[in-house]
Amino acid sequence: MIRFALAVFAIVCMVLPAGAERLFSSVSTETVQITSSFDGERLTFFGTIAPDAGAEQKFVEGPFHVVVVVVGPTQDRVARKKTNNFGVWLNTEQVEFKGFPSYFHVLASTRLRDITDVNTLTTNYILPESHAISPNPAGWWQTLNFGHELIRLMSEQDLFGVQENGVLFHSESFYSAQLTLPSNAPPGPYIAQTYVFKDGEIVARKSDGFAVRKIDFERFVAFSATQYPLLYGLACVALALFTGWLGGVLFRR
Amino acid sequence: MNIYLPIAEISVNVFLLLGMGGAVGFLSGLFGVGGGFLMTPLLIFIGVTPAVAVATEANQIVASSVSGVLAHWRRGNVDFRMGFVLLVGGTLGSIFGVWLFTFLRGLGQLDLVISLGFLVLLGFVGVLMLQESARALLKRRQGVVVRERQANQHNWIHGLPWRVRFKKSRLYISVLPVLLIGLFIGFVGSLLGIGGGFIMVPALVYLLRVPGSVVIGTSLAQVVAMMAATTVLHAVQSQSVDILLAFCLMVGGVAGAQFGAAAGMHLRGEQLRGLLALLVLAVAIRFGLSLVLTPDDVFSMAVTSVAP
Repeated sequence: MIRFALAVFAIVCMVLPAGAERLFSSVSTETVQITSSFDGERLTFFGTIAPDAGAEQKFVEGPFHVVVVVVGPTQDRVARKKTNNFGVWLNTEQVEFKGFPSYFHVLASTRLRDITDVNTLTTNYILPESHAISPNPAGWWQTLNFGHELIRLMSEQDLFGVQENGVLFHSESFYSAQLTLPSNAPPGPYIAQTYVFKDGEIVARKSDGFAVRKIDFERFVAFSATQYPLLYGLACVALALFTGWLGGVLFRR
Repeated sequence: MNIYLPIAEISVNVFLLLGMGGAVGFLSGLFGVGGGFLMTPLLIFIGVTPAVAVATEANQIVASSVSGVLAHWRRGNVDFRMGFVLLVGGTLGSIFGVWLFTFLRGLGQLDLVISLGFLVLLGFVGVLMLQESARALLKRRQGVVVRERQANQHNWIHGLPWRVRFKKSRLYISVLPVLLIGLFIGFVGSLLGIGGGFIMVPALVYLLRVPGSVVIGTSLAQVVAMMAATTVLHAVQSQSVDILLAFCLMVGGVAGAQFGAAAGMHLRGEQLRGLLALLVLAVAIRFGLSLVLTPDDVFSMAVTSVAP
């Protein structure tokens, strides 16, 4: 019991360091709804840095830096490399990344390397590359190489990204950050992890969740396709038969 | 106006889909083929994953072929007995094709097999068709009367056992070659997302000597049944049929096919076959080049499974 209490105490100490700043943050949209006209959505993350409840000081002293890390649902993803074999290009090498984020965007108030050191960025999964260096049976060199390429491919589709001027401070302690979620953002639970840095150290952090969800017709279709695949398939065939028949009737001269 | 496709999980301009459906529908109406061999590559090109493209295209082919079947049925040009035997073979082939499709997707070699399959199949059929139509055009120019059907010529296929009488086709032949043709077309159709009409018609004409009057109707009837079965198999096996994508393509395709059919009246049979051969060869060459040319990006990615 004492050991457990100590462990809890240690975790609390880690989460709330001695500086005693506290972060109040929120997301503009709790549920991003995917409708048939869904073409991406703009989200605003905002918050304010205040003295902690039990702290002695009445004001917080900056300068602060804020980093917001938006992580989408995880998937197993594979990166493949084509090589030329006797004149034909084939996928010959591949590395699988288990539990890889399907979406990962970092918004920061300035350049990340001016905020803190690489070690802190990596251990807190702030750098995109930190997802590519987790242990993998493919060996560290292949993992690093393919992970780097996977992040590049994801960035090209706007699924990964770092915006080093993405967070704006409106006062010493109040910030906001805007993020445009692309239309190919995968549905599922998202987490926005916000870190407050002071002198290169994390002084406060908070996570806010939001969801990207198909609603109405889109939800109905996706649900039917996965839950009742046989009925769904039959419905697709019925629709095709009807459309074809109707077309024949309409255009018959 | 963009529309979000619930299974493909991308947002695409709805007019692009209607236009693609219309253009491919026009060509399919013109040449009397399903158009899958054009649509599946186009869908992959606009960013739909190969899995969704192949499965959805199977569904669209049902719609684009069904009005043709009904028209031929009214005229009594469908040999249902032969269609049924083709279907039995086709379903077996399709089950194997869908299984291989899922297996190859896991292995990461689906793109390669699709490219190779299109190259070999379309290249082979394209060259044969081009040869045949060029010969017919030359003969016509020389003033030779072209016989559409060589009724009394038999080949080794007609000597096989288990003979069955196909009344509509006026044939008394073994069921084995019919089953095998169905099997092969069901297999490549489900693997490549094509109906296989452009393989079926020459196979029935040249291998089995099915008369020209019933061959299109019978082939279309088989394609409808086959692709309907493939759609359901894909829906159950890989859950990658996008009903909204299919519907947009169907609407464009059904309309385009009517104009294509009207335009086809102005061209002669061998001219049409020659043009179709060129089109088929162009697609084959495009796939061939994608295999041998240095790709823009040697790296690619895919989602292997969604974590719960």
